[in-house]
Amino acid sequence: MSAKSAATSPTSFWPLFSTVALVAVGVLPCVLFAPSGISAQQKQNDPAPVTCAICHAGVAKTFRTAPMRHAMEPDGANPLLAAHPDLTVKLGAYTYTVQTRGGHSTYSVTDGTDTLTLPIRWIFGQHTQTWVLEKDGHFYESLVSYFPRENTLATTPGDQRITPHTIEEAMGRRLPIWETRVCFDCHATGVGKKLDVSKITPGLECEHCHAGSQQHMADAARDNFKTLPPSLKHLDAEQISNFCGQCHRTFDTVMRNRWHGPAFVRFQPYRMALSKCFIGSDPRISCIACHNPHQTLNHSAAYYDSKCLACHGETKATPAAHDAKICPVAKSNCASCHMPKIELPGGHAQFTDHFIRIVKAGETYPQ
Amino acid sequence: MVLPLFPNPAWRVHASIFFLCTFFAIQQVTAQDSSPQFAELVARASAARDQQNLPLAIQLYTQAEQINPSWQEGWWYLGVLQYSSNQYPGAIDAFSHLLQLAPTAVPAMALRGLSEFETGAYDDALRDLDQAVAQGAANGPRNEQIIRYHLALLLARAARFEDALAQYTALAHLKSESPDLFIAIALAGTRSTSFPADVPAADRTFYQSAGRAGYTFLSGEDQEADHLFTELFAQYPTHSGLHFYYGYLLFPHDPEMAGNQFREELDIKPTSETQALLALTLIYEGRYADALKPAQSAYSADPDLHIAQIALGRALAETGDMKRGTELLTQALQRDPSDLEAHLGLASVYSRTGNREEEARERKICRDLAN
Repeated sequence: MSAKSAATSPTSFWPLFSTVALVAVGVLPCVLFAPSGISAQQKQNDPAPVTCAICHAGVAKTFRTAPMRHAMEPDGANPLLAAHPDLTVKLGAYTYTVQTRGGHSTYSVTDGTDTLTLPIRWIFGQHTQTWVLEKDGHFYESLVSYFPRENTLATTPGDQRITPHTIEEAMGRRLPIWETRVCFDCHATGVGKKLDVSKITPGLECEHCHAGSQQHMADAARDNFKTLPPSLKHLDAEQISNFCGQCHRTFDTVMRNRWHGPAFVRFQPYRMALSKCFIGSDPRISCIACHNPHQTLNHSAAYYDSKCLACHGETKATPAAHDAKICPVAKSNCASCHMPKIELPGGHAQFTDHFIRIVKAGETYPQ
Repeated sequence: MVLPLFPNPAWRVHASIFFLCTFFAIQQVTAQDSSPQFAELVARASAARDQQNLPLAIQLYTQAEQINPSWQEGWWYLGVLQYSSNQYPGAIDAFSHLLQLAPTAVPAMALRGLSEFETGAYDDALRDLDQAVAQGAANGPRNEQIIRYHLALLLARAARFEDALAQYTALAHLKSESPDLFIAIALAGTRSTSFPADVPAADRTFYQSAGRAGYTFLSGEDQEADHLFTELFAQYPTHSGLHFYYGYLLFPHDPEMAGNQFREELDIKPTSETQALLALTLIYEGRYADALKPAQSAYSADPDLHIAQIALGRALAETGDMKRGTELLTQALQRDPSDLEAHLGLASVYSRTGNREEEARERKICRDLAN
């Protein structure tokens, strides 16, 4: 079931959104779902590579703007920093500057005497951004991140406990090899067993979650549709949580690592597992019941209300929902009360708590 | 078995000095007997100790204790002086008397443990040092090295390798390098219950290199450690235990990297423990179907192996055979009711079968265990 572990070599995998793919999406929709998938003439005359988008045009199109597609941005593709080319903050004895010129950003830290400047090559996150920096063959998580809510640089969440004593420590937290690999593996495609940053593709491509799609494409080009990637459609809610939780972190992962506190509210499958209404066999509470990973995030409260009311509405969708209570307070904006937004330690950003519950006034963050 | 060498002889001197200071910082011990004879002995013993005349001091403290056996301070000095003079049976006797009078005298417990180690009473030494460390005996920077090192040796001897490596991790953070420490780390990592002194001369180079790699890893220098392990694998391609050792170190940090090492180890020397650990790494990655085969192999070879029961139980439960999976997980919990993995497995089973009360109960146990 693993997607990450089966990521294939990007040297032999054509990026989903290559020029060819985009042309295919825009120009060839009429042949996308033809039985053979690819016309005989195309196979004969067109040496262009086969891509997922040729057959799965609709999904490919919406996925272009999906958050997971942009889990990492390469240098030169960061509109957020381009729009804010001069960011600076003073934290303790150190002053940080992120400067963007000509599409390229640099990260500097100075103690007033010495200055360390590094190029920003890997941008993690589409909105709140943390950068992975490379120095002398080692990787570092930038000690400051960009927070769009306040348009500011501030300490990276989780790094508040760090008191730097040198300019190098002030630059960032040195990442162990496994943490570097895991960071890139969840934010990029093609990481494999050993990280080689020259071979990764920023952001998530089809192969990342749909293991075997490369083989499927190759076989489909030869009219063989028997080697399909394992279907994810039939996974139950618990299995979906485990699948998404490979990156978004599961209840098991949080327990094994003994993580505590509001910093981990961002691990949605873990929080969801604590919810009284989470039933592993019920598809209405799975991650994909509310979130389509191939699309942009839906911010409409009404959209999520419909999901809650599928069980908690006056008209029950299925007999299994009969024991679900009806909210005596409201029939809309369910998430605003039952999935409160939690401020991350250090402030500057908040996450929706996926621990669905009746929130009591003045309650402390429930572990 | 030959007694192990001290990794650093200075540790023992430091320990004695530190224990002397520690004990009297926390114990206001006074002599109860006010007879002139006893007072004179105390004064002479103290003077002999100050003059570093250890044989005379031991003799005088012994005489004083014969007059007043409830004198705690006397037993303490008698124990420390005998320990410092390599008179370990006498030191054990003195510390035992003191611990009868003051059962919470943690420094005495630690020094008795170290003395027992020297006499070869390893089970007693493990009991004392384990208890002493649990009560804070290794919290001081000067006595930490000697206590943790000996405790780690004893833990490895008792096949408690994970606990031994935890002690070596603490030592690695103290930056206390020594050839014997390296060998000891490698022995624990390769699941050997031997002491460093038992390693034949011909094998010492190998264990020192392997231990240096482990020490580097435990120090937090993961990248350098990875280079050292890679060199070791090239130098000793068929040496069993090396890949297991690195995989075991990696396991808490990156199951996928650990799994790769366990696979390499299985190519060299398949064992049920390695199979079970490989299965667990796959379970940690959510690859339950892939975990089935190694879990089944491990369980078939050794049905009593706890991690094999857990791995097979979880793999079966997640791939459809919830009944058998639940049986195995429950069976594992009978042996160890606080096994987090078994509770995580049962929480998943109950979640997927819609058994909400049982699921909530299991998740609460998991949260309590993880606290």
